[in-house]
Amino acid sequence: MRDMSRLLDIGLEQLTSIVLKMGEAAEKAVRTSIAGFMGGQDVSEQVSELSEMLVTMTVTVEDKAFELIVKYQPVASDLRIINSYMKIAYDFERYGRYAWDISLTHQRFAASRKCVHNEDLMEKMVDKTLHMVRKSIEALRDNNGEMVKSLAETENEVDKIYSSYLDILAETPLAAEGGICNLLVIRYLERIADHATYVGEAIYYIATGEKIILR
Amino acid sequence: MTNLKMSNKNKDTTINIEQVRPDAKMQSIALSAWFGSKQALKDINLTVKANAVTAIIGPSGCGKSTFIRCLNRMHELVPNARMSGQVLLDGKNIYGNETDPVQIRRRVGMVFQKPNPFPTMSIFDNVAAGLKLTGTKKGQNLNEIVKKSLQQATLWDEVKDDLKKPGTSISGGQQQRLCIARAIALQPEVILMDEPCSALDPVATAKIEELIVSLKHDYTVAIVTHNMQQAARVSDFTAFLYLGELVEYGDTRSMFENPKSEITEKYITGKFG
Repeated sequence: MRDMSRLLDIGLEQLTSIVLKMGEAAEKAVRTSIAGFMGGQDVSEQVSELSEMLVTMTVTVEDKAFELIVKYQPVASDLRIINSYMKIAYDFERYGRYAWDISLTHQRFAASRKCVHNEDLMEKMVDKTLHMVRKSIEALRDNNGEMVKSLAETENEVDKIYSSYLDILAETPLAAEGGICNLLVIRYLERIADHATYVGEAIYYIATGEKIILR
Repeated sequence: MTNLKMSNKNKDTTINIEQVRPDAKMQSIALSAWFGSKQALKDINLTVKANAVTAIIGPSGCGKSTFIRCLNRMHELVPNARMSGQVLLDGKNIYGNETDPVQIRRRVGMVFQKPNPFPTMSIFDNVAAGLKLTGTKKGQNLNEIVKKSLQQATLWDEVKDDLKKPGTSISGGQQQRLCIARAIALQPEVILMDEPCSALDPVATAKIEELIVSLKHDYTVAIVTHNMQQAARVSDFTAFLYLGELVEYGDTRSMFENPKSEITEKYITGKFG
């Protein structure tokens, strides 16, 4: 038995390369938007460009994936990779979209009033969300199914912070204290954390062939 | 352990009933086969489930065709060929001394790689040939069976006005369905197919594949194929043979989504040849 080179491998390498680049762009979008929000800077233009790029790349991934399916009728790990990359591309696109939403929220509200309240809680949520984004991208790069298991735990922590924050905001005069801004941003962060678990689930499926739910 | 001892002077036909699968129409137990000194199959334990399509896949020379030829005792027709182990049909060893190979081949029909209608016979006679030879059906009854067989083979509408034309006058795909009708006419319980579409174009292949799926409602089907996509499309269960050994067996969806064996993975994804 000897391993053969396959035309499909060329296509899979191209697909992997695009998805990894999407991961880098998605992480950059999230980090930039959060830094802008926490630091009081308007970064919406920069994040918008990254978000638009992610939308375009998602379409590219879908096109490439369909091409590979049509040409090679892939099965087993090949099919799992293609199927999962399509899902992951969508999740990265959502990272970008929520990042843009964060920057737009800051742009909309920060000019008139302070946007970050309860800074300790917000910093915790930001740290954990960024950690999940990083972890999901590292697991993808290393094709490491085991690495993604810790995402479930972190996602639970994000949810708890989110819940606590909501309780605080429920007692806050929203418009007067900049609470709307906070409410929207923690929601976006919570959704980014959700998508990080979806990425983790897709990576686990590639690596093992088993479907798990990390939420 | 309970054993049933069957009368056989030449072969050990003891059936360990704990090994007999209740859902099996056919089952090989420790089946090995040789051509002269060359061993083609090694200790194959494989179930062919009733009213399902089982695909046998594997690279050339892995023993796929030999395996299904052992299922209806065609292997022994090859000079210097021999086998050991057991093949059960409804729980009974088809290699028992009291078993008539001709009867087994009637119960377990075979469709071959190349369409092989009898060249001197009409379409009608091709389907009726087996029944006439065995003298089992005549007259009106024969006509009805020929019609029903051609209908089941989804060929009737295309040839009903040309039944007296030579069997070789129709297209390759139609000839293959004629051969399937010929097998069906004998009212077998199991239909074995040895790469039945390898000589056909895509349209004819699609028709045969559709036919294979419909046949499982009335018959048990085992198909040897080199075409991975065909195995994935038509079969309920898949067995992967490699170098005469059974590497993996399971439901087709699982096999093609997440095979357990690394060798299976490499074969079905085309990573080795």
